[in-house]
Amino acid sequence: MLTDTETRLLGVMMALIMLGMGASLTFRDFLIALRKPKGVLVGLLCQYGIMPFLGCALALVLGLPPALAVGLILMGCMPGGTTSNIFTYFSKGALALSIMMTSVSTLVAVAVVPPLIALYSGLAGVTGEFVIPASNVAQVLVVLLVPTLIGMVLRKVNPNIGATVELLGGLLGVLVILFLIVSWVPRNHQLLATTPWPVYFAAIGLGLVGMALGFGLARLLREDLHRARTIALETGIQNGPLAVLIVTLTFSGEQQQQVLLIPVLYSLFIVLSSTAVTLWFRRLAGREALQRDNAKVGAVAAAAR
Amino acid sequence: MNAADPPIHDLEVWHAHYGPGTPAQAPVPAHASLAALVAAASERYATQTAFTTVVPNGMNGSLSFAEVDSLSDAFAAYLREELALAPGARVAVQLPNGLAYPVAAFGVIKAGCVLVNTNPLYTPSEMRHQFCDSGAEALVITELFADKLDALVGQTPVRHVVVASVPELFPAVPRGIVRAVQRWWSRALPPVRVPHARFMAAVAKGREHLARLDGAAAVRGWWQAVAPDATAVLQYTGGTTGVAKGAQLSHRNLLSNIAQIRAMGASHIEPGRECVLTALPLYHVFAFTANLLSFYDAGARNVLIPSPRPVQNLQRAIENTPVTWITGVNTLFNALLNEEWFVAFPPRRLKAAIAGGAALHHAVAERWEQVTGTRIAEGYGLTETSPVVTFNPLSGPRRPGSIGIPVPGTDVRLVDDAGRPVPAGEPGELVVRGPQVMQGYWNQPAETALVLEDGWLRTGDVAVMDPDGFFTIVDRKKDLIIVSGFNVYPNEVEDAVSRLDAVMEAAVVGIPDARSGEAVRVYVVRRDPGLTTEQVIAHCRTVLTDYKVPRSVVFRDELPKTPIGKILRKTLKAEVAAEFAAAPSR
Repeated sequence: MLTDTETRLLGVMMALIMLGMGASLTFRDFLIALRKPKGVLVGLLCQYGIMPFLGCALALVLGLPPALAVGLILMGCMPGGTTSNIFTYFSKGALALSIMMTSVSTLVAVAVVPPLIALYSGLAGVTGEFVIPASNVAQVLVVLLVPTLIGMVLRKVNPNIGATVELLGGLLGVLVILFLIVSWVPRNHQLLATTPWPVYFAAIGLGLVGMALGFGLARLLREDLHRARTIALETGIQNGPLAVLIVTLTFSGEQQQQVLLIPVLYSLFIVLSSTAVTLWFRRLAGREALQRDNAKVGAVAAAAR
Repeated sequence: MNAADPPIHDLEVWHAHYGPGTPAQAPVPAHASLAALVAAASERYATQTAFTTVVPNGMNGSLSFAEVDSLSDAFAAYLREELALAPGARVAVQLPNGLAYPVAAFGVIKAGCVLVNTNPLYTPSEMRHQFCDSGAEALVITELFADKLDALVGQTPVRHVVVASVPELFPAVPRGIVRAVQRWWSRALPPVRVPHARFMAAVAKGREHLARLDGAAAVRGWWQAVAPDATAVLQYTGGTTGVAKGAQLSHRNLLSNIAQIRAMGASHIEPGRECVLTALPLYHVFAFTANLLSFYDAGARNVLIPSPRPVQNLQRAIENTPVTWITGVNTLFNALLNEEWFVAFPPRRLKAAIAGGAALHHAVAERWEQVTGTRIAEGYGLTETSPVVTFNPLSGPRRPGSIGIPVPGTDVRLVDDAGRPVPAGEPGELVVRGPQVMQGYWNQPAETALVLEDGWLRTGDVAVMDPDGFFTIVDRKKDLIIVSGFNVYPNEVEDAVSRLDAVMEAAVVGIPDARSGEAVRVYVVRRDPGLTTEQVIAHCRTVLTDYKVPRSVVFRDELPKTPIGKILRKTLKAEVAAEFAAAPSR
């Protein structure tokens, strides 16, 4: 369980992360993405079509109790995490697409996430004390839009400050997860030891299976390999700290402890699984880039004649 | 050829095409030295922004004209007083585009020293050759590659090393972040093991000396002692034949070319109000003269891009600065046109773009005009001519594929092997005479004699002239293939072969032939693996005269290329030479 101070700190950090995310964007980027909205639409479909469903399905298949099921579904319904941009960068993916997917999924979250949580909680049979009120979720998301917009304006007014804030936001995204690990794991090592395997499976599987399904759907919708890999990372990587924040603002005491388990486990393990996947993607991207370069240099030479 | 010959072509043919504001005669440079030009522009535009460097994430730093002036004064003082360099001493500058470049380059020139522009990507052995050949005593190098000096200790005349960073002169926070990212994230900052001074420490030392002397007046004394015909820059060239040679470009050469460029662009350059995007490296003669010098003279803001690859690195620069001019090569324009952000939001204030360096593709020029609504004007030049020889006027009908007409004060002829002018419409080697033609190759009288005669420079490029005076490059002379006495230009055959859909790319060279002297060989990279030799030859017979049709077709997986994607015929020719030396009877 997190203390009040920690919750408040988490809130401030989330606001700073969103400020950084806003600063990674320009209004032009949005207009450009809207000209060819397909990539972002495919991304949104993966984000809000696959992940919430996957969360619910895993909860049902693994027969998770309501407290864990709601945590898993909440995790599945979250928008893309800003750390996905860092992983995309390292995997030599389509960075612009990644940033755009994270931003758009965060911006539309206000409208999409509350009904999705209600829908899948219902399907999973979550009732009574474990229901997350839609208004809570919406409130948090609206509040986070403010720093996002401020970040965008900062970027436009002063690119030096904007890029600085963007970097700090990205670093904070990693720091918040470290903060969770440092403040939560030691106090709960017994809990971790007694947690049954289906819970671990759910927390790790949500990310990895999400990536696989995201990749598959993107390929099915005719995105190329490069973009499909970016969409895969983006789909699998959810905004974990945001889920933690919503849980701490909604539940307290023993309840909070139970619901928090999966979002926290997810946040811990997604760093590991994303790192592994990133390294693999990076190798694939390197190999393809080599082939493409050879072909491209050919085209350039042909054009130069 | 004789210097006293009247111009062969009626120069009026060219003057008629000059746009408004372009004089017919060679414009007389307004200054006696490059340093005088820098000082005058610095004073006139003092408070305006002269340089802005933008790194890919949008972080940037700027210098005003007055700041550039005072920093370069200090750097000049460092060279003369601290390092005790003599006038005429060579100073190599090996920096990517950034704020340190103009400070260092102008500092060298103000000190009365000779600037040796050096490619930062050179290998240690290329650096050794260039430093030894030029006799460079001091070197300003980017910290990204300063580790290459480890291999050169004691092997070059370089006695003083100054190390500059990419975000040099940026505001403190972005500078710290960019360097931290380079150091910890990209791991691009190797340890510098040779004795050296940091760039800003050198500037600070120079300031101390200036305080002791009588400031700017002392610097003025140094550059006022420089004769207009003294060498200002050693610009290395000639990777195509043997080792690199240093073209000696005098102050007058460069000042003349600046005046010629300003004259050709007069209708589109408003002094003090332009903003030019400099994505090409300043150590290259094109960007050095056109972007750095000409636009500084015009009071323009220069947007320096440290690395234009990938081309996305230009996005924030184009978004955040009011670019009015872009200079580039075909590859850069083509790459920009393939970027969605560029096509969706081309620079709104753009007035014109200049293409040089390599042939500008028709499709690229047309698309550029469609997307940006502005003209892309192709020019032609060489390192040996400071560099601009011909340029397309910015008004009047567009001439796709043409390199334009000679810039004011420049005479161009097309000659045969004996040096006789060829009839109009016939291809001949382009030779050029004008105030921008170099003094010669540094310490290479024999090489100089091969290309310079009575003020005429042989370019080695074969061109044709239209009846109305516009030139088109046909090919490199040394790539010419002579089949039974007929000239075959590889470009033409490559063009024909490439028209086959099954061909990805092709390169044409000559092979020895017992009957015809030489015969045409084409190296083909197939797009469709089913393509056969017979199909290639049958296709060529339909579009080419008999003697131009390839006798030999060789399929390859890839062709040797330069870093910017030009096919290296030189390498293929070497292969052919080796092949036929081994089996002369074939």
